[in-house]
Amino acid sequence: MNSRAGSAADAAVDAKRFKRVLVANRGEIAVRIIRACRDLGIETVQVYSDADRDSLPVRLADRAVCIGPARSGESYLNARFIVSAALVHGADAIHPGYGFLSENAGFAALCEQEGVTFIGPSARVISLMGDKAMARRMADEAGVPTTPGSRGTVASAAEARAIAVELGYPVLLKAAAGGGGRGMRVVREPAELDLQFGDAAREAKAAFGDGSIYVEKFLSRVRHIEIQILSDGETVLHLGERDCSAQRRNQKLLEESPSPALGEALRAEIGAAAVRLCRHVGYRSAGTIECILDPETQRFHFMEMNTRVQVEHPVTECVTGIDIVKEQIRVAQGEALGIAQRDIEVRGHSIECRINAEDPARNFAPCPGTVHGFHAPGGPGVRVDSHLFSGYRIPPYYDSLLAKLIVWGRSRDEAIARMRRALGEMRVEGVTTTIPFHLSLLDDPHFVRGEIHTRFVEERLLETR
Amino acid sequence: MNSERNLTFQDLVQLVELIKSSAGFSEFHLRMGDVELDLRRHAQGDHPPGGMNGANGAHGLNGAAAPAPAESARQPAPAPVSAPAGALPQPGETLGKTPDDDSPAGWPPDARVVKSPMVGTFYRASEPNAAPFVEAGAMVEADTTVCIIEVMKLMNSIAAGAAGVVTHILVEDGAPVEFGQPIIVIAPRAGQGQA
Repeated sequence: MNSRAGSAADAAVDAKRFKRVLVANRGEIAVRIIRACRDLGIETVQVYSDADRDSLPVRLADRAVCIGPARSGESYLNARFIVSAALVHGADAIHPGYGFLSENAGFAALCEQEGVTFIGPSARVISLMGDKAMARRMADEAGVPTTPGSRGTVASAAEARAIAVELGYPVLLKAAAGGGGRGMRVVREPAELDLQFGDAAREAKAAFGDGSIYVEKFLSRVRHIEIQILSDGETVLHLGERDCSAQRRNQKLLEESPSPALGEALRAEIGAAAVRLCRHVGYRSAGTIECILDPETQRFHFMEMNTRVQVEHPVTECVTGIDIVKEQIRVAQGEALGIAQRDIEVRGHSIECRINAEDPARNFAPCPGTVHGFHAPGGPGVRVDSHLFSGYRIPPYYDSLLAKLIVWGRSRDEAIARMRRALGEMRVEGVTTTIPFHLSLLDDPHFVRGEIHTRFVEERLLETR
Repeated sequence: MNSERNLTFQDLVQLVELIKSSAGFSEFHLRMGDVELDLRRHAQGDHPPGGMNGANGAHGLNGAAAPAPAESARQPAPAPVSAPAGALPQPGETLGKTPDDDSPAGWPPDARVVKSPMVGTFYRASEPNAAPFVEAGAMVEADTTVCIIEVMKLMNSIAAGAAGVVTHILVEDGAPVEFGQPIIVIAPRAGQGQA
């Protein structure tokens, strides 16, 4: 399929198509984006920091441009340098991946202003939904249930304390600009609040450049459920849910789809609510609505929206057969999705394990180093998304995700068995990884029965080891 | 042992001259029969080049051939070297190249290399028809503007950073540059920039 070698009539349609996309990220997601672009016949420009000179995406891309030193503030987080690289190298569009500038409305606005397409929703929608407090208000307006909490951000620890009294402890302090658990604190009693508020605000300021905090009732024994959304601005689809309850300190470790805790009726209800919210804000692109689910009452509450591709998107791809990154790029170049909700069928079961360079025995301390040998597992139903290669030096400046191991099975049991087999085959020599942790999680009888909650790993699995 | 018949002293001189006159070569290997020839250019001229690595004896060619490339390395090349210029790195090339690997032949041994502090477009002059800020051979002070890097219509003046003489301008006017890319070479004035 060569879109550039068409007739004159095709050329008119092609005018909107991207010729070259700049990848404004690193690691496995950069590799993932390059692959999607290549599948679409689009050239790629990979930007990189000094520390990523010898990295797989730099090798794979059609072009590579060094944009700054190792420190992300001067490279992957420098919007002007990235847009400049796109302009200088003739990229029509920028894919931000996840993290870094992916949910930065200012960056999306700068792209729009400079005539480079930002592959994601509009700057307006990012600032609307990226501000977690504003997003809660949008959910309220769309009739999507939210957890009890502050109406917007709180100005001070004193204000947070007043709301906490109303809600009843424990409460959750969350960064309005946040994500990935940073700037988030559980406060169990009034005496802790001032200290925790300061810490959360400082952490949020450092991570996102914005220290605004809002307050929510903290619900325990809940599951983390998220709905994958795909929208071309006209058609808004949901691609079912992912269950990300296996977490440690709000960092997801293992994700699966479908959730073992969700019935058909509730699945349809959450899906419809997610679509309603996206329509309400005029969402266009791939996105994720994160909810918490109380399995006892079968009630769900909107938590936040991620206006970007998620780390764990492959599990949804495995059960729906839809290439989310590819669809995201197609929608960004003005194409229609071309499918309806009734065309989406969730088949079988998929699980993803995040293989991190961390030592589970030392409180998941990051373990940068050199990967002397790498063997990726394979066989039926196994997918590996990774930027590893033998001899790769893991830089100490960025996150510790090395690989995502994804399996598919006709049933959850088959998927679990395949994951055990694949983890056993996988070799990452030279650094300590979370592979042994995943093996023990898969052996846990609670996990096998699908009976876990977001505190399960910390309370049960890590305590008893 | 009939290597003398295969490779004469005259052949060798011609080879060395050929490599000296071409900026594109940094290494040259030749094996003929029992003789192995290994020429390498050293920019700093501080290490003697490998010269002849004849496994079975070089038959007196050693002294003649070895120093030549080193000598050529100490002479400034006549024209600007455009080796690491604005051309986009190809996937394979990008890997081997580091911004610190920046002492090709012809650069002064104590050269001060001005590197691009950002990704953008390199300009030698303040506007399209204006005279360039500097030409090769120009005397500069540390605060002399030597070029402009444009980042999204924002013009960033780049200073020489050391007093001396501009010996090379490595990038063509209007070419894209990346972070850390060597752009201008300066031979520091005597007594400056010496370690």
